[in-house]
Amino acid sequence: MPNLRDIKQRIVSVHSTRQITRTMEMVATAKIKKAQERIEAARPYAMSMMEVLGNVARFAKGASHPLLLKHEKRERVVVIACTSDRGLAGAFNSNIIRLAEDVARDERAAGAQVDFVTVGKKAISYFRYRGVEPIAVYRDISDKPTFADAKSIAAHVIPGYSADDIDAVYIVFNRFKNVAEQKPEIHQLLPIEQAVMSEASQDVAASGVSAEYMFEPSPESVLELLLPTYVETLIYRALMESAASEQGARRTAMKSATDNASDMITTLTRSYNRARQASITQEIAEIVGGAAALEE
Amino acid sequence: MERSLICEIVTPERIVYTNEVRMVVAPTIDGEIGILPLHAPLVSALRPGEVRVRYGDNDSEVEWFAVSGGYIQVHEDKVIVLADHALGSSQIDVERARQALAHAQARMAEVGDGTDESGELANELKWAEAQVAVAGKHR
Repeated sequence: MPNLRDIKQRIVSVHSTRQITRTMEMVATAKIKKAQERIEAARPYAMSMMEVLGNVARFAKGASHPLLLKHEKRERVVVIACTSDRGLAGAFNSNIIRLAEDVARDERAAGAQVDFVTVGKKAISYFRYRGVEPIAVYRDISDKPTFADAKSIAAHVIPGYSADDIDAVYIVFNRFKNVAEQKPEIHQLLPIEQAVMSEASQDVAASGVSAEYMFEPSPESVLELLLPTYVETLIYRALMESAASEQGARRTAMKSATDNASDMITTLTRSYNRARQASITQEIAEIVGGAAALEE
Repeated sequence: MERSLICEIVTPERIVYTNEVRMVVAPTIDGEIGILPLHAPLVSALRPGEVRVRYGDNDSEVEWFAVSGGYIQVHEDKVIVLADHALGSSQIDVERARQALAHAQARMAEVGDGTDESGELANELKWAEAQVAVAGKHR
């Protein structure tokens, strides 16, 4: 028979845990909104950017640029893994790490060397623990990424790709589908698919504006400046999606933790009452027994 | 009513400015470009510098923005300035910009020309300079 006081103590402790998880759930809910607003705020830039890219693509047809060029060899691949700085977010981080490892395994099997750029303390500690030193680490940005962060990450891969030192770059992050759902995804950053360019130019053509643009200094040089920015925008977008997803995942995880704590409290209270009743019954039985013994 | 232009200054993080204006002047790689209504369609790369927007008939009705380089697209009386960073003259933290400027100059002297870092520093330097210059124009 469990001790009454022990049960009482457990109830108190589960209570305080529930208080924490409930607070975290509410904090995450508030943060999701802010993170979503940031994604929205980035949309006008991304859309204008694609429009400019489409226009340039139409005029610089067939223009080759190192970032558009697919490398024949595949000796070195870089994977950018976007995780969070904090845990308690369900499978948020382990999904990313698993996906990054899957890619790495495939690439290694194909004979490529794989390097990582890690965002978030979780990925950093995972890879360090495994004895893999990432080529660049970013911490304390996953909560509120800035465009400067994205630029800095891009600076680790773009020159390498142009210099033929890196043959492909992937980014792994959680896409924010909606508040309750995040989907770990992998995107190829480099080389930039030719399809991106042709789609962008088709979009522009479809919108009916087929004006003759002037380009300064020239279509090719604008393209040359535009493509790195395009890659930076993609990274920025991934970072923000990841930030929103983190809060979403945490909210879900904390909600179920809160629910579980409530269930536990119910069960514990029940056994507490049962134990109390049992001890009362026992006492009565003892008194009755004692009184009966006296009467005889 | 005269013809006017729609001007938008956009960064990846937010829309900095959007308004109906009379003229936009932006720093291109080769010099400066002034855009009036009925300008031909144009896409141009920008260097770090100042964007001037005249929004009224009066010469004094001008707003200044520091931009860190980017692109400008003009199409059918719509001007879009895409920049990594852009700040209106009243939003600039002059002290911080001055510090960044001094810091970049010091680093520049340290690393010297022709290194990977010097290119990046040169951009930072110009961006800080642009901020200081534009902040000075705020009345």
